[in-house]
Amino acid sequence: MTALLNVTKLSASYGDFRVLHGIDLTVERGGVTALLGANGAGKTTTLRALCGMIKHSGDVVFDGVDIARCATEDIARLGIAHVPEGRGTFIALTVEENLRCGAMTRKGRASIDDDIERAYHWFPRLKERCGQQAGTLSGGEQQMLAVARALMLRPKLMLLDEPSFGLAPIIVSELFSILRKVNEQEGVGMLIVEQNAALALELARQAFLIETGRILISGSVTEIRDNESIRAAYLGY
Amino acid sequence: MELLIQQLVSGVATGGIYACMALSIVMIYQAIHHLNFAQGEMAMFSTFIAWQLLQWGLPYWIVIPLTVAISFSGGIAIERIVIGPLGEAAVLSHAVVFIGLYAVINSLASFIWDFTTRPFPSPFGAGSQFGNLISNQQIGMIAVTLLVLALLYAFFRYTRVGLAMRAAAENPTSARLAGIRVGLMAALGWGMAAAVGSIAGVLIAPIVFLEPNMMLSILLYGFAGAVLGGLSNPAGAVAGGFAVGVIENLAGTYVPVIGSELKLPIALLLIVIVLVFRPTGLFGRTIVQRV
Repeated sequence: MTALLNVTKLSASYGDFRVLHGIDLTVERGGVTALLGANGAGKTTTLRALCGMIKHSGDVVFDGVDIARCATEDIARLGIAHVPEGRGTFIALTVEENLRCGAMTRKGRASIDDDIERAYHWFPRLKERCGQQAGTLSGGEQQMLAVARALMLRPKLMLLDEPSFGLAPIIVSELFSILRKVNEQEGVGMLIVEQNAALALELARQAFLIETGRILISGSVTEIRDNESIRAAYLGY
Repeated sequence: MELLIQQLVSGVATGGIYACMALSIVMIYQAIHHLNFAQGEMAMFSTFIAWQLLQWGLPYWIVIPLTVAISFSGGIAIERIVIGPLGEAAVLSHAVVFIGLYAVINSLASFIWDFTTRPFPSPFGAGSQFGNLISNQQIGMIAVTLLVLALLYAFFRYTRVGLAMRAAAENPTSARLAGIRVGLMAALGWGMAAAVGSIAGVLIAPIVFLEPNMMLSILLYGFAGAVLGGLSNPAGAVAGGFAVGVIENLAGTYVPVIGSELKLPIALLLIVIVLVFRPTGLFGRTIVQRV
């Protein structure tokens, strides 16, 4: 059985400035892949390129479909939900309207309403604030809203860009335990970008280490964890 | 006292014109987050189309839906051909294109229909109510404006497409990631703004008469109303439009220096005062963002 996401020789640039130099990576069906690396290594750029948000070349095959030349909205429609850097909240809309925006590609009001309840079940705090303007939420709540909105798409694959960024440790562990449940119970594949390597490696089964736009090392999480020199040099723990 | 009531009523009646215009301005602002200077000219052009159709002998009840449909398609065409390719260009680029559109549409109308001032028949008949205090036309105009407002409110608040349009206007990047077709939503917004504008034009034309420059001052008053009420709030913009009409009328009557010649600067003064002291307008929502 082929992988859920298969990326080969992905290159991307901002204007003339090349950021990615032909990277290969995979996400297994129902698997979690961590993409690790320092600031400026090209992690966010990789996610943006996968979603067609920036100019890129190379092959991207998702669920047997070549999406390398698809528009961002069509990629979302195929079942890839991107939780972007900065959370991408619709700040003027209410919390519930934000969730409904996440389900915009789907049909059937009843199943969408069910999924809103499901989102509130995962994130009870959002239920308390369902009618509130989303811009008034705290950073942690907005991150939860971003994840909940992505789940509304009923995705096959989630791209998570630094979900722990700027959050208090207790919120981070809450969020990651929910992500783990979503992955285990609903089989949603995940590609997770994190600077907090320890955290990401707890969730992931496969990891890719990226440095200045190139994949340096890849392998199963156990291999990467057990390699003392990698840990010391790149993961910093 | 009688004079005051008369001035108030006639202020509300004129305010109805501004409210119409303000509504179509806010409508497009909601869809694209830009102020479209050509909005008035688009409405004027639509009104000429309606007039032409009437001249060809079509009845009113066919002319109105046909004009709205033509304007809707025209709005979409403008977005697809002119605005869409601009993409996320700077605000000033948009402003320049809007001014260009203004000039093109104005000249096109003058070229086709020349500058003769023409009467435009009222869809509501010629009579008046309450002892000549307010004409049927004015009552009809106010009623239709409120109806359009209610329909727009329901559309944006309760329909999926309405929500998608708001999301696409507020955060195009996030909207795309949610699978919303942002370009399509913008085109739809232009189409709807043009359609609302065409209704405003047909309502206004019986009062101000039809000619290519008919919307010039009305657009200014409409902007004043929209800014006063709040660009983020269609209902506020309508209320603002009425308020501008009343303020203008009362000031013209009771402040001797102003008279009818200095009415227009009042609109401009209002814009300045509101922008300085309450930039979101009287009824506008302040969009809060925590970081």
